[in-house]
Amino acid sequence: MLPLEYILILSAVLFFIGLAGVLIRRHVIIMLICIEMMLNAANINFIAFWRYNPNPELHLGPLFTLFSIAVGGAEAAVGLGLVIAVYRFYNTANADKFDMLKDS
Amino acid sequence: MIITFCILSVFIIIGAVSTIRLHNIVYAVFSLMLLFSAIAGIFLLLMAEFVAVAQILIYLGAVGVLILFAVMLTHSVTGSSGKNIYSNGWGWGLLLSLSILFATLLPAIYFSDFPSDPAVEIIEPSVKKLGMEMMHSCVPAMWLIAILLTAALIGGIVIAAPPQKR
Repeated sequence: MLPLEYILILSAVLFFIGLAGVLIRRHVIIMLICIEMMLNAANINFIAFWRYNPNPELHLGPLFTLFSIAVGGAEAAVGLGLVIAVYRFYNTANADKFDMLKDS
Repeated sequence: MIITFCILSVFIIIGAVSTIRLHNIVYAVFSLMLLFSAIAGIFLLLMAEFVAVAQILIYLGAVGVLILFAVMLTHSVTGSSGKNIYSNGWGWGLLLSLSILFATLLPAIYFSDFPSDPAVEIIEPSVKKLGMEMMHSCVPAMWLIAILLTAALIGGIVIAAPPQKR
């Protein structure tokens, strides 16, 4: 059978790739995509711990994951609305160019 | 089981890495969809079939198409983002995320004691029990989620709407 560590390592690596994508890419939509990726890594952890605990009949893991998926969907909707508004203001999707608050 | 897990994790890693490496944003969204479907496979492997179906419906269906529409509305439809795709000082970001992975996450997994087998061999597929649980003990959370989704969708429309011409 599959040890729990493997699933946790997979989700840690997925979280790392998402965090690296947020920090190194300059396109705003790619940054949002990477946030979704980190949320999915957290969902894998919820389901894995639920599967390996001695009392899975309560279905707490799938319940929490469903709520987390709903919050992720809301976050994607608001984030893409913000991306469209910011793109209309700056005419670019490059996050390095968003510098209206910078003292220059 | 472990062979299936290895195949699915190869798909997940390929999807994630190509999402943050590809120049073309539309192709990045497609590899994100590959990643989401492989994660649904992981959920099926861990016997959470309702969550797997919800993952496919919401992430592949709704969020993927939403991101594609946002790409079409902001960028040109081809989605190419030019030569330089990395931000200024991307090395520091890579260093920070690598240090988080190797200094906190992997040691925490390595030094903990986890079970190597699931305690319960087979979990019966029970969407009915899940629904009963959701409607009995999670009703306040359902209300909060309903209010949150309504507020988020209205707010998204208000934010993304074009400014009124005077």
